[in-house]
Amino acid sequence: MSERLNRDRIIFKDLGLLEYNLALDIQLSALESKLHDPDTADHIFLVEHPPVFTLGKNGGLENLAISQEDLQSKNIQVVQTKRGGNITYHCPGQIVVYPVINLEKRKMGVKEFVYHLEEALIQTVMHFDIQAVRNSLNHGIWVDNCKLGSIGLGIKKNISFHGMALNINPDMEPFSWMNPCGLNGISMTCLKKELEKTRRTHLTISMPQIKDLLKKQLGLILS
Amino acid sequence: MKELSEYNLPEDIKYTKDHEWAKSANDVVTIGINDYAQDQLGEIVFVELPDVGTVFSKGDEFGTVESVKAVSEIYIPISGEVIQINEALDNAPELVNQSCYDAGWLIKITPSDSSQMDSLLNKAAYMDMLKG
Repeated sequence: MSERLNRDRIIFKDLGLLEYNLALDIQLSALESKLHDPDTADHIFLVEHPPVFTLGKNGGLENLAISQEDLQSKNIQVVQTKRGGNITYHCPGQIVVYPVINLEKRKMGVKEFVYHLEEALIQTVMHFDIQAVRNSLNHGIWVDNCKLGSIGLGIKKNISFHGMALNINPDMEPFSWMNPCGLNGISMTCLKKELEKTRRTHLTISMPQIKDLLKKQLGLILS
Repeated sequence: MKELSEYNLPEDIKYTKDHEWAKSANDVVTIGINDYAQDQLGEIVFVELPDVGTVFSKGDEFGTVESVKAVSEIYIPISGEVIQINEALDNAPELVNQSCYDAGWLIKITPSDSSQMDSLLNKAAYMDMLKG
C-alpha cells in the first residue's frame, strides 16, 4: 500500500464491551503512535462500556445528583477525563465512538469535525426515520429537546481523541441522576424510546447493524 | 468556510505551525492563538492557563481551550517564564474569538532565549504553511 493510501485510510476496531479505562488506554496508545508518526493510519474505535459516569475537563461533578455512597453500592465509577463537555453516562446499549484522527492531514478544523460527527449520528438514526437535529444550546444530536447523542473530544497536536456516544437501548434510569452536559431541565433519550414514541417497535434494533451504519457514515464524512 | 486571505494575520507578529502567535516588546513576549485558530475552533467556552512563574520550553503544552465540546491543547512558541496571564478570560473566554490579538491574548513570558523568536514563522511563511 502506498504511503499516501496508508495515511488516508481509517482502521475501524470494535472493542465490544470494555471497561472505560481499558478502552481509554487503547485510544491513548493509538494517539501516542500517531504523535510519534503522523502518517500512521487513523483509527476509530467502537465500544460499549459497563456503567460509568465520566466528567469533562472543565466540569461535571456538580451536575451529578446521586451520592458517592449510592454509586459505590451500585458499583458505578466516576472518572475524570480530559475531554470537552460536561458529565455523561456510559453503559451497555450505548455505542461509544473514539475517533483518533489527524484533523490537519484531513484539512479539517475542530468546529468542522464536530459538525461532521453530528452529521454521522444524524444520518445513522435517519435510517430508522428518526429526525434528529443539532441544537444551538449544546452540541450533540437531539430529538424534541431530548438528547440522543453526545460529543466530547480532546485535541492534541491536531489529533482527536475521546469522542461521541449514541444511545440505542440502554437502561435510562441512571441518566436521570445527572444534568446531562450540565444543562438543567434536559432529559436524555435513546433510539428504542424514540421508536416506541412513533409506534415502530416492530423495527429490529441490532447493535452490529447500527455500528455498521455508523462506520459507513464516518467513512463518508472523513473521505 | 473562509478563504485564507480573509483571516486577520498581522505582519508585525510571529506564528507557529500550531497556530499560536507571539509578539516581542521590551523583553516581554505576548502569546495567543491566531485568527485562523479561533475560527477553526469555534466558540471558546473555557481557557485554561498556567500559573505565573511556570517555566516552559519551546513547544510545551501551556494550556487548553475548550470549544464545541472539544478541549484543544495549546503550545508555547518559545521558551520562557510566565509573568502574567490574561485573567479576564476566566469570565470572558469569548474574548479569544472576538479579539485574539488584543483583549484575547493568553500569557506574557520573559523569554529564556530571545533568539528563538527568529525560528518562528512570519506571515508569509505561515500563509504558505496553511496553503500546504
